[in-house]
This record gives sequence, structure tokens and C-alpha cells, in this order.
Amino acid sequence: MKITTLLGSAALALVLGASGAFAQSAIRIGHLADYSGGTSDVGTPYGQAVADTFAWINKNGGINGTKVDIETVDYGYQVPRAIAQYKKWTGSDKVAAIMGWGTADTEALTGFVAQDKIPFLSASYAGQLTDPTGAAGKAKAAPYNFFYGPSYSDALRAELTWAAEDWKAKGKSGAPKFVHMGANHPYPNAPKAAGEALAKELGFEVLPPLVFALTPGDYSAQCLSLKSSGANYAYLGNTAASNISVIKACKTAGVDVQFLGNVWGMDENAAKAAGDSADGVVFPLRTPVAWGGSAPGMKMVQEISKISDPSGNVYRPVHYIAGVCSAMYMKEALEWAAKNGGVSGENVKKAFYQKKDWVPAGLEGVCNPSTWTDKDHRGTLTVDLYRSKVSGATDGDLNDLMKKGTIKLEKVKTIQLPRKAEWLGW
Amino acid sequence: MASSLIPAGDFRTSYAVDTTIFPTVTSRNFAIAGVVLCALAPFALNDYWMSMLIAIGIYGIAALGLNVLLGFTGQISIGHAAFFLFGAFTSAYLSSKMGVPAFFAIPLSGLVTALVGLIFGLPAARLKGLYLAIATLAAQYILLDFFARAEWFSGGSVPASAEPFSIFGYTFTGDHQYFYVVLAYVVVSFLLVTNMMRTRDGRALIAVRDHYLSAEIMGINLTYYRTLSFGIAAFFAGIGGALYAHYQLVVSYEGFGIERSVLFLAMVIIGGLGSVMGTLMGTAFVVLLPEAMEWLSAALRGGVIDQTLGLKNNITFVREIAIGVIIIAFLVFEPDGLAHRWHQIKAYWKFYPFSH
Repeated sequence: MKITTLLGSAALALVLGASGAFAQSAIRIGHLADYSGGTSDVGTPYGQAVADTFAWINKNGGINGTKVDIETVDYGYQVPRAIAQYKKWTGSDKVAAIMGWGTADTEALTGFVAQDKIPFLSASYAGQLTDPTGAAGKAKAAPYNFFYGPSYSDALRAELTWAAEDWKAKGKSGAPKFVHMGANHPYPNAPKAAGEALAKELGFEVLPPLVFALTPGDYSAQCLSLKSSGANYAYLGNTAASNISVIKACKTAGVDVQFLGNVWGMDENAAKAAGDSADGVVFPLRTPVAWGGSAPGMKMVQEISKISDPSGNVYRPVHYIAGVCSAMYMKEALEWAAKNGGVSGENVKKAFYQKKDWVPAGLEGVCNPSTWTDKDHRGTLTVDLYRSKVSGATDGDLNDLMKKGTIKLEKVKTIQLPRKAEWLGW
Repeated sequence: MASSLIPAGDFRTSYAVDTTIFPTVTSRNFAIAGVVLCALAPFALNDYWMSMLIAIGIYGIAALGLNVLLGFTGQISIGHAAFFLFGAFTSAYLSSKMGVPAFFAIPLSGLVTALVGLIFGLPAARLKGLYLAIATLAAQYILLDFFARAEWFSGGSVPASAEPFSIFGYTFTGDHQYFYVVLAYVVVSFLLVTNMMRTRDGRALIAVRDHYLSAEIMGINLTYYRTLSFGIAAFFAGIGGALYAHYQLVVSYEGFGIERSVLFLAMVIIGGLGSVMGTLMGTAFVVLLPEAMEWLSAALRGGVIDQTLGLKNNITFVREIAIGVIIIAFLVFEPDGLAHRWHQIKAYWKFYPFSH
């Protein structure tokens, strides 16, 4: 009995060891997604894009012929889950990099990834993540945090730049009034200081911020305050569901204000849910084009989309395209690292610094040219501003609504922000 | 329950012997062996398992505080996560902004949190039951709002950073080393509370819980003990939070809402109200259950059941539902908590084969 047990465990050890050896020949990376938690509305298209892109990469030759072993885990936007999963990925067989998701996991893991030297490409665009050395003095150094797209602060800076021009173009006199709206939470508050500082500089009158919760609710009171304050431009800092409640309530209250959305606060699905109250909201995209837009790289995005939708008919929201870009940057970084000393965390980090105005091959016109340096992790300062156009009832399928043009995303302007040293890290 | 396990002929002849921490020699040896075993764990386990043990230790200390309040004093608090977070921010602030070494910052933030707990415990002197629950709910929201606004203290939207734990110039990095810091605090905290329960103050708390009117007639100052209990609860929450801060090295108030406070309540109730040992069991249960469900759903993924039912991404919803169902089933079949079950298992083997 004892001998058989011993033999059995020895055999098991051999099998495990062998599978371990196989696993090492593939490149292991982790992927934290939120399909079921508080941010699943936007987490699903983004996470799907990352999963689809790596599946597509594996289908098309992998990383220099090596397959990527990506483990997608739905952590439900729960911090303890993200930490446990991270420890699993770094326990015995370290992953080369992690595709992260939101504020919750990114902030909780900042300390760990710096300690363990694992590049963490998040979809949290908080300004403090762009400072790899801590030189800006706003927060601790975040040397292993990366993201593709403008930071929350830079997106708001671009919107304010546009708003100042818009005010002049409309020929209005006096100082326009700007108000920051959102919950008292790290995510809506992230760009607040940056926005209010630039607004003052641009000649706005900055009103005291209006607070509304991150969850949908009745925000008539906030709309009445907004109306009586006479604000001209209002930034909505929350996520889509909560923002929709506000713009709907404000439409009912008859507030005449130009809403400025944030990158996760407005998209095609939100426009459908908000109906005609979403008409006219200006918001930033991380990509120059939306789904089906005319760009040479759009064909490849549509090919990638076929991984999870073989019919090719599904309309993908803006977050999907941003997810594809993020994953492709990671792919090319892994490629460089594999050729230059192996896919360790440190090499993958170095890989991000190799190119200037970097666009992943095949995605020309879809991903904005990005440059990361060891002193500045602001990949891109290009912000593409769009306006949502809703011209009718938004019941029914999103695919049809987009096809019929009931909901349209209309390009407003591309703002190229200057790379100011004093804007780094906040 | 425990007295049934003391062998026949083992008489207590003095108060000192009667109030010993460990009722039998075997139980003391087991406790020592448990600590030794834990101390050896880093040599055998990987980062993942170490992080699980660290989480059980950190949350266990905080839950212990809540058990003093809920299980021993009969008071309720649904703002425990806010105190935990207060301790975390205090320790981060002390270590990174004031230059206090983490070694001193951890106990200090326990004390500061205890003071805050005393302030929020004041309504407890006058309120009971549901009314007190609502009053402590206010603590949760007031403190979270404070963290959002007090940028000098918590960093506002930028997470606060905490210095790593170091002693005599040696820095504890990684899970395998930090585990010993947590283990030391777990041992000290649990001994402290077990010890407290045999003092006048500890017995007074139990008297307040069992019948506050009788306790008052016996000369126990209700206001004093009820408020004190809040202070103790907040102290341990603060210690737990401080340990969390120096483990993570960053503190963000993301994820410390009311649901985390409820989780602390779940740890105490599942472990066993008024059981020091049970607190650790309950914490282990609450920390490991989602992980066990994650292994299960990982095993299910792509399997026969997944394919026939077409679950795909919905498997995570099944996972969450399963966690809820297990907790409900647990409370139905095990209302006295894990500590009670543990005693029954012990009794079974004690009387084997004559147990019924």
C-alpha cells in the first residue's frame, strides 16, 4: 500500500514536472477582467477584446512562434480576489506581465508589481500611474504600471481646451462656468485637481463640485443645483450607469449645460440606455476611430473580433477597440523582450521604451502613436473627442441602432496636448 | 463544553489554576504546536498560500476585535471596515509622512484607531440593538467621507503609500518574510484577548452581554464597559489595518465599503460568537471559501457541465451564488459557529467508541 502510494506520488510529480516544463515553453501572462462585478458594463467589452486579441495572436504565430498562455480571471472588481489571483500568478511560475483592469486592482497591486518587477498594463488611467520615478512628487513611483490612452486628467484637460474654444466659437461673452461632478471616490476625483487648475488658467469660473453617487439614483436635486448655479460646462466623473441617471434627470429639469463625459462614462451602450438625453454629450475616446471607422487598421480589429463572434455582425463598443490596442502593445513588447534576453518582467518593461510614436503593426489609424520613456509613462497625449448623436427612440438591438444611425458617434476634434513636465503624475 | 473534556480526577484547587488560559495540557501543547507549525509554513508553501495565511492573520485580528464587541459584550457594529481602513491610513501616514518606523507605527495606529472608536462608541452608551447598528453605520460613512476629503491624511484620490516593515535595519520583503510579522501579532492579540476574558474587565463585558440590568445592579458601569468594548474593537481593527498597509505598501479606500464590514460580521458569526479560537476559524472560512469556489469554477471551466449548460462567463455568477448558498446553509445547520463544531469533534474522539 505504502509502496503504491509512493510510486503514485512519484508518477504524479513527474507528470506535474513535465507539464510545468511544457508551460514554461509558452509565455505566461495574467489577465484580470471584470465580467460580473461593479464595472462589468464596460469591463466585458474591454476584457473580451484582450482575450480575443491574445487568442488571435496565438492563431497567427504567437510571439515569435511561441504561444501565449494567458489566464483570464473574472475577479468581480473585488480587491481581495485580485490580490489572491496576483499571488497565484507570482507564486511559483512567475508571469511575464499582467493585463489589468480598473482602479480597484491597479491601486491594490501597485506596491506588489514594483516589488516583484511585473509590468502591469491597466485600464485604469489615473494620472499617478504615469510617473515611474516619483519625481513629480504627487505619489509614490509606479515604475511597472503602464496603460494605453490619455490619463483621466489629460482627457479632461483636452475637453477643457475644447470647451474654451467652443465658448469663443459660439461668440458668447463673459467667463464660462465649469463644474466637476462625481462621487467622492478615487475614480471620479482622479482628474479633479488637474481639471480645475486648467479651467482657471483658461479663464473659466470654477464652481464648487457637485457630488452624486457612483450608483444610479434620483439626482434631480443635483440637476436643480446645476441649473441654479448657471454652469455652462459640467464634467461627469462617474461611470456610465450613474451618469445616465444624471443626464436624464437634468433633461427633465431643463438644464442647459454642455456635459463632458469621461472615458468610461459614455459609450454606445450608455447612449442607448440614456436615449435622447445623451444627445450632445462630448466625451474622449482612446482611439481615433470607433467601430467600423475608416482606418487601415480597422480590418485587423474586425478580424480579431471574429474570434468571439464568427458571424462578424456584432457591433463592438469603443472599449473593445481600446482593449485590442492595449493587448497589441503588450504583444509587441513581449516580442521585443523575447528577442532581447527573454521575457522577464524587467525586459518587458524595457521593451515599452524602445519605440517612439509606436503604433502596433497592422493597427495603423486605430491606435494613437504612443511613446513611453523611463521617466514618463504618459504613452499618448492625443485625445480624440467625440459627440454622441441620438436621433430617435433607442429601443431594440444596439447593432441595428448603430447600423440605422439612430445612435451616432460624431468626431468633434482631436486635441494634441503639450507634454508639459508639470502635468506629469496628476 | 470545554469542561467535559477535562479528565476525571483533575481537580482545581486554586483560582489561579481555575482561570488558566488553556484548560488542559494537551490544549496548550496543541496551541504551541500550531504556532510552531505556522512558523515553519514559509519553508513549505509558495507565495499564494502565504498570502492566504497573511490575509487570515490580518483579518483575523480585526475580526477578533469585532468578536469582543459582538460576541462578548453583545454590542453591534457595522462600521468595522472603516476602522480597519483608519488604522491602515494612520500607519501609512505615520510611516511615510512622519518618518515613524513601521515597527512603532503599527501599535501606534492601533491606539489612534481605538481613540476614534471610543468617540464613535459614545452612542453605544445610550443605544442598543438596531438603533446602535444604524449609529455605527454612520461611522462607516463619516469615516469614508473623511478619507475622500482629507487629502493630507489619505492622499485623496491618490493611494497613500506605506513604508515596508523593518527592524534593526532589516527590511521584511515579500510574503515569506512578512508572514512572521503577522504571525507575531496574531499570537500576541489572541493571547491578549484570551487573557482579558479572565480578568474583571472581561467578565464584566460578558455580564453586560448576558443581562445588562443584573450587571448594573452588581455595580458594573454600563457606559464605561460598553464604550470600552468599542475602543477594544477599534484597537484590533486598527492593528489589522496597519498590518495590511505595510503588507500592501499602498492604501486605497477602494473596496472598504459596507460590504467589507458585513464580511467582518460574517467571520465572527461563522466562527462562533464569543469564541476566541472560533474567530480564527471563521476568518479562515470566509477567506478561503471564495478561493475554493474559484478552484472549483476553474475546474468546471471547459468541462462537461460547462458545455452542456453553456455557462461560459456566467460561471462566475454561479460561483458567487454558491458562496451565498454555502453561507446560508452554514448558518442553518451550524448556528453556533465553527468553534462549536470543533468542540463536538473533540468530544467525539474523546469518548470514542462510546460517543452517541
